[in-house]
Amino acid sequence: MTILLEAKNLSKQYRLSHGQTLRAVSDVSLVVHRGEALALVGESGCGKSTLGRTLIGLGAPSSGDVFFEGERISGLSDRALRRWRPRMQMVFQDSSSTFNPRRTIGETLAEPMRIHGRTGIAERIAALLEQVGLSSSVLSRYPHEFSGGQRQRLNIARALMLGPDLLVADEPTSALDVSVQAQIVNLLRELRNSLGVACVFISHDLAVVRQMADRIAVMYLGRIVEEGDVLAVLQAPAHPYTRALLNAVPRPDRPLPPPLKGDVPSPIHPPQGCAFHTRCPLAQPRCAQERPEPHRIVEGRTVACHYPLL
Amino acid sequence: MGADALLKLHHLHLELPDGTALLEDVSLTVRRGDALGVVGESGSGKSLTAMSVMGLLPGLKASGSIGFEARELLGMKDREWRRLRGAGMAMIFQDPMTAFLPVRSIGAQIDEQIRLHERVSRREARARTVALLGRMGVPDPEAAAKRYPHQLSGGLRQRAMIAMALSCGPALLIADEPTTALDVTVQAQILTLLCEIRDSGAGVMLITHDMGVVAQTCTHVAVVYSGLVVEQGPVAAVMARPLHPYTQALLEAIPPLDGPRPDALPSIPGRPPAPDARPEGCVFAPRCRFVRPDCAVRPALREPEEGRRVACVLYDA
Ligand SMILES: Nc1ncnc2c1ncn2[C@@H]1O[C@H](COP(=O)(O)OP(=O)(O)OP(=O)(O)O)[C@@H](O)[C@H]1O
Ligand SMILES: Nc1ncnc2c1ncn2[C@@H]1O[C@H](COP(=O)(O)OP(=O)(O)O)[C@@H](O)[C@H]1O
Ligand code: SF4
Ligand code: SF4
Ligand SMILES: [Mg+2]
Ligand SMILES: [Mg+2]
Repeated sequence: MTILLEAKNLSKQYRLSHGQTLRAVSDVSLVVHRGEALALVGESGCGKSTLGRTLIGLGAPSSGDVFFEGERISGLSDRALRRWRPRMQMVFQDSSSTFNPRRTIGETLAEPMRIHGRTGIAERIAALLEQVGLSSSVLSRYPHEFSGGQRQRLNIARALMLGPDLLVADEPTSALDVSVQAQIVNLLRELRNSLGVACVFISHDLAVVRQMADRIAVMYLGRIVEEGDVLAVLQAPAHPYTRALLNAVPRPDRPLPPPLKGDVPSPIHPPQGCAFHTRCPLAQPRCAQERPEPHRIVEGRTVACHYPLL
Repeated sequence: MGADALLKLHHLHLELPDGTALLEDVSLTVRRGDALGVVGESGSGKSLTAMSVMGLLPGLKASGSIGFEARELLGMKDREWRRLRGAGMAMIFQDPMTAFLPVRSIGAQIDEQIRLHERVSRREARARTVALLGRMGVPDPEAAAKRYPHQLSGGLRQRAMIAMALSCGPALLIADEPTTALDVTVQAQILTLLCEIRDSGAGVMLITHDMGVVAQTCTHVAVVYSGLVVEQGPVAAVMARPLHPYTQALLEAIPPLDGPRPDALPSIPGRPPAPDARPEGCVFAPRCRFVRPDCAVRPALREPEEGRRVACVLYDA
């Protein structure tokens, strides 16, 4: 498989008003292969969205590099990035706020192609509407006339207008009801198969991730703590946090397990050593002192834990 | 229903002044020591059902019946309803910031709630507040009581709101999506707490759109679709063998967490009708895979099996 995008030791810090620093993403390295779907999962605030945006050049990293098809795209000026923009597109969770309420759907869909000086706009729109399962009668209508599920279809169509190689989808189904969520998950899978577009799929829902992704990267307080094949990781998690996250998913077919203690610590003052040690049921004295580095435990599985479960 | 029925809604119907029915026909029962999960998609009428029980819907016309501890609540005066809220029934919401004033400590607000219903000194009220926060699993409850709402994490705020709701020992606790805004690991903590409250003998009505949450927290479930209860029964039975085609479709649409991964998830085509555009017959008919001619007449909620109710022609004898 060829590597499409690669991040090396990527960090992103936000400077807060009181001179404090918030470490949203710390020392993340990952690759996305051509046509593959990589899921980023974790609890709110763990840095998924920040990482997703940084990967495609929406905001510069504080340190580290991003390569697209082997060329460094981090640290480029907006002008220099322009050439890469059509290749990487983003889909957000709240589809209502990403549409201009005063523009028709037709105008909104045409915009990316117009900005990049493309021709054949009408044909492209017609083809994409068909692919996302909408009729061309939507073109003269306004965003508020659509349901959440329909708006998400339009959002996906817009992101695909320029024929990107990589789609970063940030919680694309989280605001939807289950029945509509299933429609959108199916659509995204179909599009990946038919267009071969790679996808970084950000979600906190492990069941949706399992359905959508090839590989999974689990984040905790800005770091990737486990990474591997999605079915293998969810079948047998190696990191105690992955297991806790999996156990906490409410399922119709099993009782409520004993919950994990406490809250996620603040990313302004992350714990020393392993960031998970304040909540980890398996923590040992060493965990509070020494940070576990990601290491490969079996083929295709990387874990940052001193005492992995595998 | 049994003598221990705490809350019984019978053909509850709620409409706007223009005659649009927001709730068509909601019938359900909550018993003491039981937790009833009310599930349905966004806009199906879950919150409206809860607000009707709490008497918090001025301006909407309600008919049918809301029986609570052998009293009829519909038609009751505001003053009587206010007395009932707190000691009789209490409600918690998705966003705890709506339950607390931002400018006062959470302890002061819980103290006040206690003193509104009972003649106790400030000291006694605070002692009860601290004990309650402790029982809700708030670490260092004395210090936490002095904090302002925005100084607490989402999970702690939710615990504080539950403490406030329980401060006057209500017989019925209504929780409207109490964990939707929380992370799964914190959600699991709050659900565990709700199970304890249920086991202590209170009746719980838990509103959610998550079948997994219902399965793990509730004893019974009522499925709402477009302003109607379409199925109701014990959780284990409904999960194992859902009767209504909508309940079946809802359960099938949840992606599996183990076993083989399907190429496509079974999804329900279309979306629920708006309240002013409900079909005349079965409200689920436009999306139902079993639809047949007699679905054109709205099916009533029947009891084809002991303890299980369903509104669908497939079960009309
Ligand atoms: N005060 C109101 N005036 C008019 N329509 C209303 C009012 N409150 C609710 N509705 C409508 O009534 C229906 C049911 O609303 P309700 O808030 O009970 O849904 P819900 O099941 O709680 O949904 P959600 O899962 O999104 O919270 C919706 O169509 C809603 O738009
Ligand atoms: N523009 C910003 N300024 C300051 N802090 C931010 C900003 N964006 C995100 N953060 C913080 O960075 C952390 C990671 O945020 P985010 O990437 O949005 O997490 P996630 O998507 O996993 O919920 C959080 O603590 C968040 O509050
Ligand atoms: S390093 Fe220690 S604290 Fe961290 S996850 Fe592993 S066992 Fe738990
Ligand atoms: S009454 Fe008819 S349309 Fe309605 S759920 Fe039953 S079979 Fe489907
Ligand atoms: Mg996010
Ligand atoms: Mg609601």
